Amino acid sequence: MKYLPYILKHLRKNWIRTASTIAAMALCIFLIASLQTVLAAFYGTIDTAATDRLITRHRISLAEDLPMAYEARIGAIAGVKRTAKTNWFGGVMGSSGGQPDMRNFFANFAVDAEPYLAMYPEYGLTDADKQAFMQDMRGAIIGPALAEKYGWKIGSTFQLESIIPPYRADKPFEFVVRAIYSVDTQKYPNHARDMMLFHWKYLYEKTGQRAGVGTYSLQIANPSQAAAIAKAVDSTFENSDTQTKTETEAQFVASFLALVGDLGLILNAIGMAVAFTILLVTANTMSMAIRERRTEIAVLKTLGYPSALVLALVLGEALVIGLLGSGLGVLMASTLIGNLGSIPGLQGFGSVAMSAGLAAGMFAVGAAMGLISGLAPAVGAYRANITSMLRQV
Amino acid sequence: MAAVDVQSVRKIYKRDSQEIVVLDGLSLEVPEGEFVALMGPSGSGKTTLLNLIAGIDRPTSGKVIVSGTDLTTLSEGPLAKWRSRNIGFIFQFYNLIPVLTAVENVELPLLLTKLPRKQRRERAMTALKIVGLADRSHHYPRQLSGGQEQRVAIARAVVADPAVLVADEPTGDLDAKSAEEILNLLQTLNSDFKKTIVMVTHDPRAACRAHIERHLDKGVLMTTVERHDVAAPVGAR
Repeated sequence: MKYLPYILKHLRKNWIRTASTIAAMALCIFLIASLQTVLAAFYGTIDTAATDRLITRHRISLAEDLPMAYEARIGAIAGVKRTAKTNWFGGVMGSSGGQPDMRNFFANFAVDAEPYLAMYPEYGLTDADKQAFMQDMRGAIIGPALAEKYGWKIGSTFQLESIIPPYRADKPFEFVVRAIYSVDTQKYPNHARDMMLFHWKYLYEKTGQRAGVGTYSLQIANPSQAAAIAKAVDSTFENSDTQTKTETEAQFVASFLALVGDLGLILNAIGMAVAFTILLVTANTMSMAIRERRTEIAVLKTLGYPSALVLALVLGEALVIGLLGSGLGVLMASTLIGNLGSIPGLQGFGSVAMSAGLAAGMFAVGAAMGLISGLAPAVGAYRANITSMLRQV
Repeated sequence: MAAVDVQSVRKIYKRDSQEIVVLDGLSLEVPEGEFVALMGPSGSGKTTLLNLIAGIDRPTSGKVIVSGTDLTTLSEGPLAKWRSRNIGFIFQFYNLIPVLTAVENVELPLLLTKLPRKQRRERAMTALKIVGLADRSHHYPRQLSGGQEQRVAIARAVVADPAVLVADEPTGDLDAKSAEEILNLLQTLNSDFKKTIVMVTHDPRAACRAHIERHLDKGVLMTTVERHDVAAPVGAR
C-alpha cells in the first residue's frame, strides 16, 4: 500500500492519457456487462422454467391461433393435470401520433385464470386477491413494478389497446386492478415483476368471439413423462387442419429465444473483438508510458529497488487503470440497465438488473485486461539493465 | 579497511562482433572516509568504474569489494538490497522523479525499509535540512533550480545513511555558483558525516575539493594527486 501514492501520482501526471485509457477500458466493460446482463435475463427464463409445464402451440407459427375445441381433447390425454388458454395480448397504453405509445408497453397476457394461476405459483397471490380477480371480468393482475411505475393501486383503472389486429375492438380494453402479485425472489429470481394478466374470456367477448387460443399451457402429473405426453398431444392433432407443436416450457422459451441465442453469439463475438482491441490499445499506451520513464526505472533500480518490485509497480499502474475502467464500465452498464424499462420498445427489460456475480466478474475482467496490457512493459522494466537505460537518456 | 577495493578489474563491452576494453586490469583502493575524484578524458572508463563501485554494473573479470562485500559474488536481488543500504548515487542530471515532491523523492529509498510512514517522512525532512532545502520540501522538481534539484538528489543519496557516496559529474550540469554549493555540500558530507565519496568529474576545480585525485586513460589508472590541504567547504557549518 505504501507504493499506491507513487502509482497514483504517475497516473495523474498524464491525466488525459490515463483518462482516455480508462474510458476505453470502461467502454469495453460496459459493452460486455450490458450484453451479458440482457442475455442472462433471457436465459434466466429458461433456467427457471418449470419441468411440469408444457406449451402447445400452432405447428406452423406462434402467430396462428389454435381452436378452442382442442382444450377438452388435450385435457383428456393421460398425464395432463390441467390446461389453460393463454394469449399474448400485446396491449399498449395510450397512443402517440395515431400509433400505439410504445413507451408504455409491458407484457400482458389473457389467461384462463383459474387453471393458469394454479399452475403458475410464481405469481404470489392471496386467496382474497384471486377471488377479487375472479369476480371481475375486467379485472387485472399486475406486477409490483407496474404498480410502482404507474402508481396503480387496487381499484385503479387503465386502458390497453392491442397491437395485434384481431385483438383490437372498437374501443380500448378497460381494466381494473384487482390484485398485485408478489415475487418470491429466492424461489423465482428471474420471474418478471412487470407483467399483467387478465381474463381470457374478456378478450374473447370483447373481440366478438373472434379470438382463438394463442397457446395452451399444460400442467402434467409427472415431469418424466413430458416427452411422451407432448408426443401424445401432437399425435392427437396430426391429421387435422391445425397441427400442434408441444414442448416443455424450457424448450418453448429456448425455441422462442433461438434467434436471441444466435444474436448472443454474434454480440459476444463483437464484445470479445472490442475487448481484444482495447487490450492492444491499452498495452500500447502502457508501453509508451513506461518507455518515457526509462530513466526513472533505472534510478529506482540504482536506489536498490529489486526488479520484481519495479515489475510490480508497473503492473500496479496497469491494474489501477483496469479496475477504474471496470468500475466505470460497470457503473455505466448498471445505469443503462436500470433505465432500460424507460426506453421505448424495451419496457420488457424493466425488471432486469445486473447480478453481483456479473459485476464482480467484470471487475476481474478489467483487472485481468489491465494486468495483461501491463505485462510486456513490466517485463521490459524487470529485465532492464541500469547502465543501458541511463546511457539511453 | 578500504571502503572501496577494486582488484584487477577488466570490463569489456561487446558491440556486434567488436570487443571494447573499457577497464583493463584496473585496481583502486579508497580508504574509509576519503574523498576521491576520478578524472580523465571521455571514454577513459571513469563512469564505468563508478558504476562498478556502485554495484549497478558488473566487471568482466576481477573483484569489486565495497564496504567489505565482494559485489561480484552477489546475484541481482541481493545486489539491489546491498545498494539500498550501502550506496548513495548522485547523478549528473539529478534524475529526480518529476511527479514526486522533493520530500517524496528523498523518501524513495526509505520505502524499501520497514520504517513507518511518519519516521520515513521525518528522516527525509532531516536529509533535506542537511542540504538546506527543508523549506522547499513540497516543491516539485520543476519548481526548483538545477542546484536545488541536485541538493535534493544528494539528500536522497544520503537519506538511508550509506557509507559510500558515488557521484557522476555532480556539477556537470550546473552554473559555477550552484556547482560551488554542491561541492561544499559534498565536502561537508565527507568531513562532518564521514562519508566516503568517489566522484567522477571533468572539472579540475571540482577535483580540487577531493583529497585524492586519480586520473584514468584508456581504462588504466595513470596518475595520482594527493592533497592534505583541502580547504574547508565555503560556508560550512
